[in-house]
Amino acid sequence: MSRRKRPHFGVSRKSTFALNITSLTDMFTIMLVFLLQTFATSDVQLEPAQGIRLPTSTSNLNPIEGVRLIVTKDQLLIGEQKIADLKDKKFDAHDIDGADANFLPLLFNELDKLAKNSTDEHIKEGRILLQADASLPYDTLRKVLYTASMAGFPQLKMVAMLGN
Amino acid sequence: MRGRRWLSHDTTGEFELDLAPLLAVMVKLVPVLLVSSAFVQLMVVETELPQVVKEAVQQNNDPKNDIAKIRLVVDGKNGMKVVIAHQGKEQETDIPLKDGAFDFQGLHEKLVAIKQANPAVFKIDLMPGAGVEYGDLIKVMDEARRSRDNRITFPVFDAQKNAETQTPFMFPEVVFANSLETGA
Repeated sequence: MSRRKRPHFGVSRKSTFALNITSLTDMFTIMLVFLLQTFATSDVQLEPAQGIRLPTSTSNLNPIEGVRLIVTKDQLLIGEQKIADLKDKKFDAHDIDGADANFLPLLFNELDKLAKNSTDEHIKEGRILLQADASLPYDTLRKVLYTASMAGFPQLKMVAMLGN
Repeated sequence: MRGRRWLSHDTTGEFELDLAPLLAVMVKLVPVLLVSSAFVQLMVVETELPQVVKEAVQQNNDPKNDIAKIRLVVDGKNGMKVVIAHQGKEQETDIPLKDGAFDFQGLHEKLVAIKQANPAVFKIDLMPGAGVEYGDLIKVMDEARRSRDNRITFPVFDAQKNAETQTPFMFPEVVFANSLETGA
């Protein structure tokens, strides 16, 4: 059996070649400028909660620390802790106080616990960072605001996306 | 005298810039910035105001001051209504829905006119209806907070300088006036 001879294209194995990195540098420069523009300068790192469409606002104030209340179309949460469920963007009747239709006892208890046990400055000042879905009706939000005020959290900071 | 020594410099030839160190820096910087970048910029809606305006807002909250009270009723069915109450009299201005949606442009124009007539007022009571969406309320607050047109400013008295100055802020203090109403 005869061995086939490999074709020889005249490439010298010993030769070195210079990698052209100009285009790569161009790409990195563009990326660097873009990333510097979007660099987060805020003290508080705030990420939009999952399943939430925040409203847009022209306000240019950076977020400050506060108790993170999140109201999605389906749930009410404090941070990552679920407090109550929502059905059709409304609270279930068993989550609402029988004597006061704007009072949410479960939310009150949790906020009250926070207010009593925490030494954080923003909790003592009664500051809330509210992330709520833009499509929620005021009736639902009013229950949250009302209960939060009752629990000693009257300072409301509404989180919105920057835009027109 | 010895002749000058000619070094073999090629003045017309091209040379290649060594981009490797620059690239090395960028390769390190890009992941750092990628991690700390905020691709969705979140802001908060509140009243962080210049000192002069803050003082004016405090004066608004003083019950001794005889200034007009402005109430903005937002209703999903009928649109918006601005009520100016002063010295026992109430004046209403309707801003009806436009193509089935809130007329924010119309609201802004009305609020600018009201502010020009009542420059001492910085507070507005917002009274939304039960079905009004949260996104619309934020837009209403945006329209009320300050003048969109930078050329339109309003007079405010600076007590420290004892002189009148100008501000683009209209009604920076928006209060949910009906949020503490019990729903028994």
